[in-house]
Amino acid sequence: MSKVKVPKKKTNWGAYLRRYWQLYFLLLLPIVYFLVFKYKPMEFIMIAFKEYKIGKSVWEMPWAANNGMKYFIKAFKNKDFIRSIRNTVTLNLFDLVVGFPAPIIFALILNELVLKRFKKVVQTIAYMPHFLSWVIIYSLALQIFAPTNGLINVLITNLGGEAIPFLNESKHWVATYIGLGVWQNFGWGSIVYLAAIAGINPELYEAASVDGAGRFKKMWHITLPGIKSTIVVLLIMNLGGIMGGGFDRPFAMRNTLVLDVAEVLPTFVYINGIKGLQFSLTTAVGLFQSVVGVFFLLSANWISRKLGERGIW
Amino acid sequence: MKKKVLSVLLAATMVLSLAACGEKAPSTSTSTPDSTEASVSTEAPASTDVAAPEAPAEVEGMKDGKFVETRHISVEVYDRDGATPANDNVWTDWIKAQMLEKYNVEVEFVAVPRWTEVDQINNLLAAGTAPDICYTYDYPTIQTYATMGGVQDLAPVISQYKDMLPNLFGWLGEENIYMDLDPVEGTLWCVEGRRNNIYRINTFVRADWLEKLGIAEPTTRAEFEAMLVAFRDNAETLLGADADKMVPFSVSYDIGWRAANLIESFMDPAISDKDYYVNGYDDRKFTEPGTKEAVRVLNGWYNDGLIWKDFALYASGDTSEDDMIKAGYVGAFMHNYDYPFRNGADSINAVLGATYGEGAKFVAVDCFEDKNGNYTKYSYSPAGDRKAFFPTTNDEPLASMLYLDFISTQSTVEYLQKGEEGINHKVLDGGAIAIQAVDEANVAYTQNSGNNIDLTMTTNGLRLATDELTNASLAYTYANVDPADVVKAMTVAFRDHKVPISVSVGEISAETGVSNLTDKRDATFDNAVIAAPADFDSVWDAGMAEYLSAGGQDIMDERLAKWIAVYGDALMLP
Repeated sequence: MSKVKVPKKKTNWGAYLRRYWQLYFLLLLPIVYFLVFKYKPMEFIMIAFKEYKIGKSVWEMPWAANNGMKYFIKAFKNKDFIRSIRNTVTLNLFDLVVGFPAPIIFALILNELVLKRFKKVVQTIAYMPHFLSWVIIYSLALQIFAPTNGLINVLITNLGGEAIPFLNESKHWVATYIGLGVWQNFGWGSIVYLAAIAGINPELYEAASVDGAGRFKKMWHITLPGIKSTIVVLLIMNLGGIMGGGFDRPFAMRNTLVLDVAEVLPTFVYINGIKGLQFSLTTAVGLFQSVVGVFFLLSANWISRKLGERGIW
Repeated sequence: MKKKVLSVLLAATMVLSLAACGEKAPSTSTSTPDSTEASVSTEAPASTDVAAPEAPAEVEGMKDGKFVETRHISVEVYDRDGATPANDNVWTDWIKAQMLEKYNVEVEFVAVPRWTEVDQINNLLAAGTAPDICYTYDYPTIQTYATMGGVQDLAPVISQYKDMLPNLFGWLGEENIYMDLDPVEGTLWCVEGRRNNIYRINTFVRADWLEKLGIAEPTTRAEFEAMLVAFRDNAETLLGADADKMVPFSVSYDIGWRAANLIESFMDPAISDKDYYVNGYDDRKFTEPGTKEAVRVLNGWYNDGLIWKDFALYASGDTSEDDMIKAGYVGAFMHNYDYPFRNGADSINAVLGATYGEGAKFVAVDCFEDKNGNYTKYSYSPAGDRKAFFPTTNDEPLASMLYLDFISTQSTVEYLQKGEEGINHKVLDGGAIAIQAVDEANVAYTQNSGNNIDLTMTTNGLRLATDELTNASLAYTYANVDPADVVKAMTVAFRDHKVPISVSVGEISAETGVSNLTDKRDATFDNAVIAAPADFDSVWDAGMAEYLSAGGQDIMDERLAKWIAVYGDALMLP
């Protein structure tokens, strides 16, 4: 008589390993990957607290002054750094406010389209900008928005108007920056919402129709609640990136006339760290950035759980 | 079927939108070498070289001046997106063959994009994959890296092998080789190359426009300005249907360079060496007292519609401005003394001539008088140019030094600069040489940089056997260009010119790790130029204050302190 083994409360690792060794074996490679490429490099965080020396291992480098905090002090005394923080947060907040709802609205609109083929075409065209690099987008922007040679301003001036400084005046530049960001991402960002919408039980819509709900009512009471958890998860992840953000977009788009609003943390790190070879200073900045990012992520997650949503873990 | 048509259409839009702007995207990729194998003449030109004396017996691993076992070194070369791969062409092949034969050293070239060279070398150095021999124009970069322990001290290497480097010493002299020797520490992080012609920046105007409007070449700033106004007001006459594209005066974001003649005319002609040095962190004269007023002039021009409005939007290396000049929309600009002549059939003057006929070209003019009425301008200094340095990852210092010796040798330089007779140049009566554009069949022989200066690391500018020959030939170094125009450009570039002083007072530690100063300088220049006239003072002063507080002041203070430490209260160099 063979007894069916019931897993005990106390986990028996050895037994598990032996029984599912194939699965664990498969897991080995990803684990090695994470150890080598994600965890091992973390020892270089120490550079933030040390005097960087190129030929030496990070363990051998001498500690920086002020108990290793020298470079953090230096960073916070640096006006450019403070300005970069301000710009990073501002631009990312604008991105969030304008850029976050855009794909949701787009997905809702797409979902209401009746003509299948038209919907597919619109969708595909909307995805396309996602595949363009920022260098290319900025080149396009120059052709379209430059003050004298840009398409739009040529039109405006020929009609007797005053050229709009889309790229060469700080406030306009911010608007262009945000606008191009939304343009690049709203199509791609809508995919995940469309997928979520597709997962909503069609019976709900049928029932609502029977009850006499119109399109707008259905959108408001079925579609939106149906994708609410998706929205929350993405919002949390976006909030986590409020201190970060990509390097290529601000770097490709900046020019000397708008540096006061265009210098963000990633470009600050590049200019001072890679170009200026101040590795310790910029590692300190990067570490600060990550810590703040984690803080935002955790608080957003905590808030969403308080509000009864699932959060990301 | 419809689906197919649609997808083809979409794909086409995609490709078009990519292609339309592909040209604008700054290319950082090194071109993949396509095979440019070509037979290379190994015939050495007339030898005026110094043969190295027998290698001292104590040098290990060498016999008869050659390594017993083949050594391998890698050498940086600038990539200017030329017709052939920068690191694999007829000329690099020739160098490789020579080095292998002469010293049994295998040379590998590493292409580094010219316009982002400092960034790129920084990246390579940081990654530990920098070439064994690097070069750059930027000393603070080398200094920064040296303080991190990334650069070899060349002083002991050079003193140990001095006897084996007769050509290096013969060409550069102790002066250049030890220019950056730290007076206190005795360290030497790099060897300074030498510039053989020191013409720097000229002002160019469209000769055919002057003729069309019946204006004489401007000789004063007022005349220059009047000329710009005339260009602006006669756009219809000059450009017809393209009148709205008229740009009387073109600059780039780098005002300090592209308005240098104007800026330098506002400097004190009697400036002391000390003041020059204290303000000499870079060559844009940003902190010189007169510069603000020079930029005010530019600001006036800008607000009068005389300057290209989009100048600040294009990054370094972008060709939009060049394209505009070549298209014939630009009336005047300042740039390198030979800028309209560079690049053979693709030079500005060649393109203009081909489009608008013979007379359409830029000529150099002198029109920025200083307060004494002279045309004060700064040339380059012959001492100190590109700096060659060895990263600590270089484990072949001797082989690398021998490479520097080889590349400084007169016959090497001469062959690389002149190229093949009949293909790259022809010999004129009297022995001067005239560079000619390579034809279709000999594209492989294209010199990717003028006279291959990127390969002749320690020599910048044409260097023939004698100075007379060099000067006679200089006017002929540009294919498809009237030599008279070049002679004029050289004359103008040298009128009342001053040579920058070389001061060696040891490390200026404030200059390391301040890469954002250049951005702040350019931002101040650019914002001041486009400011409303009423805001000019506040914009300039705010920018200057920011520049100074971000490290500019520290640099000037340290330079002053070091000057006083070495020269006391002397105002001029001894």
